[in-house]
Amino acid sequence: MTLTAAPILDTEHLRLRGPQTRDTEAVIAFLMDKDRAELFGHYDNRGDAWRWFAMNVGHWHIHGYGYFIIADKDTDQAMGLCGVWNPEGWPEPEIGWSVFDAAEGKGYAFEAAVASRAYAYDILGWSTIISLTIDGNSRSDALAKRMGCTRDGIFDHPEFGPMNIWRHQPADALQDGGMEAYS
Amino acid sequence: MGHQSIPILETKRLVLRGPEPQDYPNFKATFASYRSRFMGGPLNPYESWMLYAAEIGHWEIRGFGMWMIHLKDTDETVGMAGGWFPAQWPEREIAWIIWPGQGGKGYALEATDRVRMYFYDELGWDGAVSYVDPKNLEAIRLAERLGAVKDKSAGSVDGHDVCYRHPTPEQLASSQIEDGIAMEIAHYADPLFKMKGMPVD
Repeated sequence: MTLTAAPILDTEHLRLRGPQTRDTEAVIAFLMDKDRAELFGHYDNRGDAWRWFAMNVGHWHIHGYGYFIIADKDTDQAMGLCGVWNPEGWPEPEIGWSVFDAAEGKGYAFEAAVASRAYAYDILGWSTIISLTIDGNSRSDALAKRMGCTRDGIFDHPEFGPMNIWRHQPADALQDGGMEAYS
Repeated sequence: MGHQSIPILETKRLVLRGPEPQDYPNFKATFASYRSRFMGGPLNPYESWMLYAAEIGHWEIRGFGMWMIHLKDTDETVGMAGGWFPAQWPEREIAWIIWPGQGGKGYALEATDRVRMYFYDELGWDGAVSYVDPKNLEAIRLAERLGAVKDKSAGSVDGHDVCYRHPTPEQLASSQIEDGIAMEIAHYADPLFKMKGMPVD
């Protein structure tokens, strides 16, 4: 069942779409996997993980954007989360990403993050956006650099601790990374 | 903003509508306060925003959820009431919270009575429970006024809370529980005398 009014973004290998009821278990399994989700936001009980899933649905309703499900283009199976995130207390909206175990190492996080950035710039109409990485998340730092981000200070979150602020290149500097990224 | 159309319920003094983004500040203030101590609070701003977004997501995922309670006269919000059934909940719960300063006026009784009617008559529920902290006397009293009784054999959410089982639709139809609730609500709406002492929801 469709839970949000999220658009569908197709990339070369992926389909980014809104969360649906059938994604619940895959997202809960990811959030409860300490190794995979520690740097994303890990939960050690099912109730809290379910609430995160519900919270993302509510995030879409409150803001009109949120985390997409990264789905396999052929099977529609959920393979990760990527999108624009802005809960209370965030310094500004950010592009966040994480791929589940089975989709690791295929460049999907990069592909989804580029599509999410194009979504923020071309569909939401923004001119700037950041990404936050928890201090020590070197793989996400590397992905941010690969996307052309530059460091823009530290955001100290009361719960998650210090996070690196990565500022993406502005919309007008990314003419070639726009619509074609998900067309 | 709402993707799913949430029904609007009315009572004598109240209008129950789905939670809207603009209703958030009072929710946040309540969950930052001591008032929320039996509902997992007090919460920091990040936690309370997460919970509020989850309240909205709950409607989409479950097809029911918590309504925002508005006063008919002023449209101001005084709390929330409705159904709550996140993962790990043994059964579907009828839940409520009243903002600090709005207790003692019978709003929770009037709202929970109405939502129970909706769940039974419109959604076909054959029963419901409320999970109550054993120290939360106001909630225990409200559960009892709704005709719910402690069910010691029922599972609880965390082993600490107590399950109150609501009367079934049949039990409500064949008892005077609803008459008593209606009389009490009428009294709150138009009191013959002002009670003194401990306020109850």
